[in-house]
Amino acid sequence: MAGHLVRLKLALLRNGLRRSEWQQQVGLVLGALGGLPLAAGGFLLLALVPRAEPRFGLLLVEAVFLGLFLGWLLFPLLSFGGDASLDPARLALLPLRPGGLMAGLFLAGCVGVAPLCTLAALAGGVVGFAPLGPGLVLAVAAVLAQFALCVVGSRALLTALSRQLRSRKARDLGILLVSLAGLSVSLAVQVGARMAERWERLDVEALRPLGRVVGWLPPGLAARALVDAGRGRLLAATVELLAAVVVVLLLGWWWWRSLDRVLTTAEPPARARSRPAAGLFPRAARPFLRADRRGAVAAKELRYLARHPRLRVAWLTSGLLALALVVAAALGGWDHPALVLVALVVVFMLSQNSLNQFGWDGPAYWANVVSGADPRDDLAGRNLAAMLAGLGATAVLAVALAAVTGGWPYLPVALCLAAGVIAVVLGVCDVVSVRFPYPVPEVTSNLWAVQGTGQGCLVGLMQMVAFAVEGLLLLPVFTLVGVGVLVWRPLLAVACPVAVLYGLVVWRVGLGMGARWLRDHQPELLAQLSARRAG
Amino acid sequence: MILRLGRTGKGDGRLSPVTAGSPPQADRSPTALTVRGLRKAFGPKVAVAGIDLDIPHGCFFGLVGPNGAGKTTTLGMVTGLLRPDAGLVVVDGVEVWRDPPAAKRRIGVLPEDLRLFERLTGAELLTYSGLLRGLPAATVEERARELLDVLGLAEAAGTLVVDYSHGMRKKIALAAALLHAPRVLFLDEPFEAIDPVSARTIRGLLERYTEGGATVVFSSHVMELVERLCDRVGIMHLGRLIAEGPTERVRAGRSLEDAFVELVGAERTGPEELGWLGTSSA
Repeated sequence: MAGHLVRLKLALLRNGLRRSEWQQQVGLVLGALGGLPLAAGGFLLLALVPRAEPRFGLLLVEAVFLGLFLGWLLFPLLSFGGDASLDPARLALLPLRPGGLMAGLFLAGCVGVAPLCTLAALAGGVVGFAPLGPGLVLAVAAVLAQFALCVVGSRALLTALSRQLRSRKARDLGILLVSLAGLSVSLAVQVGARMAERWERLDVEALRPLGRVVGWLPPGLAARALVDAGRGRLLAATVELLAAVVVVLLLGWWWWRSLDRVLTTAEPPARARSRPAAGLFPRAARPFLRADRRGAVAAKELRYLARHPRLRVAWLTSGLLALALVVAAALGGWDHPALVLVALVVVFMLSQNSLNQFGWDGPAYWANVVSGADPRDDLAGRNLAAMLAGLGATAVLAVALAAVTGGWPYLPVALCLAAGVIAVVLGVCDVVSVRFPYPVPEVTSNLWAVQGTGQGCLVGLMQMVAFAVEGLLLLPVFTLVGVGVLVWRPLLAVACPVAVLYGLVVWRVGLGMGARWLRDHQPELLAQLSARRAG
Repeated sequence: MILRLGRTGKGDGRLSPVTAGSPPQADRSPTALTVRGLRKAFGPKVAVAGIDLDIPHGCFFGLVGPNGAGKTTTLGMVTGLLRPDAGLVVVDGVEVWRDPPAAKRRIGVLPEDLRLFERLTGAELLTYSGLLRGLPAATVEERARELLDVLGLAEAAGTLVVDYSHGMRKKIALAAALLHAPRVLFLDEPFEAIDPVSARTIRGLLERYTEGGATVVFSSHVMELVERLCDRVGIMHLGRLIAEGPTERVRAGRSLEDAFVELVGAERTGPEELGWLGTSSA
């Protein structure tokens, strides 16, 4: 049984490589290589630092062991939908007993890039701490106990939560958390760099109480066993190691119970929440939308802005960026009133989502094609939604910045210029989005996945070209604004109507070009949006 | 034509066609659908190898064939979703690939793969489809409510489509296809994964619909259903229409399933093959 499951895991890894195009294979290999720096970093940290700085020894090992344990608990939860070997319900119809299945799943869990990298990092602990003699045996056992803790803890938690994780809401939340994790990693790297600068001044004693708490957590027990084995306190190391093994056994018991429950009890039917009948048109947008084709498309787009998990991520990221800007302005004492105009940059970035306006529809675009509606109305509806959302975001951010900097006179200027900027961007997007569309996967474990066959590179290239064209088209507006802010302020009063008119002209030209092409190529666009998902 | 869905004033439960606000009628063409020399290849694989077909108005037409016969590709091409390599398609007197908007106003489509706007609720999806078809908002609202009622989706009207079961998705897609009361309805596997009660409702709804002069073209693997419902039937195999005509004539005294198996040349499993089946002692 165990052999079968290990072979299954190896086959899944192999087929994951074989199924995809060469571009994705390169991506997968690079992704796997991405684990190498982490493994090497962990190894060097555990192998070298305790020898160089003995006073950090225990704290450092505790922190690394805890980090690894939490990583093993959290990341499989986020990639649950993407790894077929993680879901025990897929094996529910086979005549298997939980004991044999557990052994097989444990061994399968030890196969792959993440387990290899973890083992490599933990091996640094043996190099860093283990003396020759009986202490070496204990140190190796402590490292293996930590590894077992990671694998068994991860599988136990996954199995216990497997039903919840299969729900659509959990998958949506997963996508949101992955993006937040990405942001928090970059934040943690920055904070870590600051901490490293102050490393010399750091009062290690202040961290001791925290260390004592961490030391009693399961990974802390293994860490203490390793450090005590290294320092020759064999009895203490043995007791701590035994405690860690007991924790592994307890987690194994929990896993066994959960597995038994998943394999033998029927899944209750999912209960979906029924929303109150608010209608297609969002309440806040009703004054701006008519109940016609254009209005329907715009209303659908606005609903998707709020409900599509990946659009939510885009808006959340921009929202956090904007919040950081406002906080930085408030704390940093930036009080130049023209700072309100920085809202334009955030809105410019946000409106880049329209470069792939049809991608969010994906294959569901057939409904628009078969309706026989004029593609111009379709495009204009999408533009209307982007304009409403963009102006709303500008208004909120500009008001916040004006409140911080006192630049209230710049508020109407920011709104007028935003209308112009968004219109220019949409003019470009109307051409690009019909000529170079790509379907956006509805739910996937890979937040940055591009659906289709090897389109990632071309899509990236086209978006860069589009970005450059937008920049060139916006250059006159930004020049006017720059001169207005820095040299002659009354020029801003002229810049506002000029920007709006200029935006309107560029938008009409782009809309016309996009609609004209789309009228003759709707089936081809649909085919591109229905591309089979690869990788 | 507007199909008023729901009970009429007489309380007889019939779905009555009335005329108001309907899509413009073409000059009454002799056929609801005419296809000539329709071809489509995907690279070296020929999916549809030249089809000729005439379906009269008011007909219930069943398109059957084994997996990969080209049914879905054919339906894609006659509904304007997939550009053919060659051939002519005329729906209700309008050439589909010469004037797509005019042809699409006359048709309703239920595709096989049910790719819908997942993040809209069922009611929102119907409103979206209706407005996209150019119907007045009040008409859309009234028809959507009646369709949701008839198809048993009223309670799930506020649930996101992504949370619908397969059967519910089929029903909401059918509702969207019916909303503008099209002259010709193209349905790809409409009864797949539908519970028996809903299947009965849909069957009744479609039968009454054709009684009003509209035409239904549907593909299915369920031979009994096709035999029971359809006036005419077409059998596809390897991208060609190998038999077409009134159902009675195609089945020629046999059951449709027997006629189908004979025409596509499927082989029965011999007694010597899979002999181990039924010998398990576990």
